[in-house]
Amino acid sequence: MSKTSVIDQIDEGIEVLLSRADGEVPVSDPEVTELLALAAELRALPRPDFKAELKADLLEETMSIANTPSAGGNLMTTTMTTAIAKRGRHITSLRPEILPTLAGSEYGLYPVQRSSFMASLVAHAAMLALLVTSGIWAAPNFHEKPRIHSVLVTDLSSYVLPPAPDRAGGGGGGGDSDILQASKGNPPRFSREQIAPPAIIVRSEQPKLPAEPTVVGPPALTFPQTSPIGDPFARVLGPLSNGTGTGGGIGNGDRGGVGPGTGPGVGDGSRGGIGGGPFLPGGGVTAPHLIYDPEPEYSEEARKQKYQGVVVLQVVVGDDGRPRDVRIVRSVGLGLDEKAQEAVRTWRFAPGTMNGRPVAVLVNIQVNFRLY
Amino acid sequence: MKVLENAPDEQLLIAAAQRDPALFAELYENNFDRVYAFIARRVPSRQDAEDLTAEVFHEALRNLARFEWQGVPFAAWLLGIAGNRLADRWRRAGKHQGVPANDLDEAGTEAKIEENLMLFQLVDDLPSDQRLVICRRFLEQRSLREVARELGRSEGAIKQLQFRALQNLRTRMRSRHV
Repeated sequence: MSKTSVIDQIDEGIEVLLSRADGEVPVSDPEVTELLALAAELRALPRPDFKAELKADLLEETMSIANTPSAGGNLMTTTMTTAIAKRGRHITSLRPEILPTLAGSEYGLYPVQRSSFMASLVAHAAMLALLVTSGIWAAPNFHEKPRIHSVLVTDLSSYVLPPAPDRAGGGGGGGDSDILQASKGNPPRFSREQIAPPAIIVRSEQPKLPAEPTVVGPPALTFPQTSPIGDPFARVLGPLSNGTGTGGGIGNGDRGGVGPGTGPGVGDGSRGGIGGGPFLPGGGVTAPHLIYDPEPEYSEEARKQKYQGVVVLQVVVGDDGRPRDVRIVRSVGLGLDEKAQEAVRTWRFAPGTMNGRPVAVLVNIQVNFRLY
Repeated sequence: MKVLENAPDEQLLIAAAQRDPALFAELYENNFDRVYAFIARRVPSRQDAEDLTAEVFHEALRNLARFEWQGVPFAAWLLGIAGNRLADRWRRAGKHQGVPANDLDEAGTEAKIEENLMLFQLVDDLPSDQRLVICRRFLEQRSLREVARELGRSEGAIKQLQFRALQNLRTRMRSRHV
C-alpha cells in the first residue's frame, strides 16, 4: 500500500473517530490500525484551558478554606521540621533551623507551640490594656480648654418685641427758620412714614394734597393729643412758633421732625423715632445680625483659678454694622470682662433697620466663659 | 504505579497542603493528567470528563484534611474518588454506558491510563506545526479544510502533518516503553 493511501486512510479513520462515539474503524492495515488507535486516545486529550480554569477554581476555593477557622485542624505535625519549597522548587532535606519562618520559606509547616502562643497572647493583651488606659496616665497633664459661647441676646429677628413705653431711640428735629424758639407741646401721632411734617403754625392753609402731619417712629408710641402740637423739649409755652430749625417740622433741628435732632423723628437723635441715641429693637426696628464674631480669649488668671461665668455687654451697633460704646452690664471679673470687650469690638454686624434703612441699635451680648 | 517514585516528597507535600491549602496546586499539577485520563476513558464525551475531573479535585480539596498517609500514593486516593463519582453517575444514569464497574481494578486499565498520560505529555513535545494540527483536529475537532484555511496551507499538507504527528507519537511511545 502506498504512503499516500495510508495517509488518506488515516484521515478517513480520524473523521470517523471524531464523528462517532464508539470510534470503531474497520481497517486491515496494521500500521493504520496502530496509528488510529493512537488517534482514538487523542480524543481524550485534555484542553489546556480546562486545566488552567480548574486550577483557578481550586485556588479560589483554597482561599475560602484558608479563611475557615477549622482549616488545617487535622494535620500532620511530626514532619514540621521539613523544609518544603514553593511550587516549582524541590522539597529539600529535613533539618531543624532557628527561626525558620523568618525568611518566609516555611509557612504552613512551622508548628504552633502552645507556650509561644500563650506568651504572644499575654503580650498582646498587655499592650492593648496599656493603650486603653493611656488616657488615665495622661489625665494629670490635662490642659483645660476654655469653651466660650457668645450670644447676641437681643437678636430678635424671628419676632418683634413690644416697643418701649416711652423710648425707642432715634430722634429728629425741624423748624421753619423762625426767629423764635419752638413752643412747647406734644408731638403729633407716630407713623411708619411721614407724608406731611408737623407744624404749629401752618403756613399754607390750602395744601394741594391734605395729609395728617406725623413724625416717624413706632406707631404704638402715643402721646396725649389733647394738648397743642409742639416741641416736648421746648422750654417756652409761647408765643407759638415752629422754631429756628430748618427743613420743616418743629424745633431747632433739621428735616421735618420735632426737636433738636435730624430727621423726621422726635428728640435728640436722627432718622426717626424718639428719645435720642440708638434705637431699641422692636416696634418696627429690627435687631442687627452677627456676621463675624471671633471668640474672646480666656484670661490667664481665670484659667488658673478655673473660673467660669457670663459677661453681659451692652453695645450700640451702628448703621455701618460696627459696634461702639461697648459697656459692661454684668461683670464676672478676673480679666474676663476685658477679654469679652476686646473681642466684641472686633465683631461685625448686619445693622438693624427701621423702614428698611439701617439705623444704630442698642443690643445686649452675653458671653459665656466655660472650662471643659 | 509509577507515581510512587517520589512518595516521601509527596507525603511532605500533602502535609504542607493540609496546613496551607494553597499548596494543593502542586498536588493538582502532579495528578491532573492521570485523573483526567482515568475518567476520559470511561465517559463518552469530553464535557463529561471535564465535569467529573472538576468534581474529583474539588472533593479532594474539601477532604484533604482527612487524608491520612498510609503509604498509598495520593493519585490512588484521587482515582478512588473518581471511581466513586463514576459509579454514582452510572447509577444515576441507570446504565453502565459500556464500561464495566469492576474495570477500575483491572491492571490493564491502569497500564492504559499510564499510556494515555504518556501520550498527552508527548503531544506537548511534538514540533509546533504538528502539535497545532493535533490540537485543532482532536481538541477542537475541526475539519481538515478549516485547519488548512487557518494555517494557510493545503489540505494535503495538513493531512501530511497529521500523519507525521501520529507517527512521531507512536515512535516516541515505543521508545519510552523500551
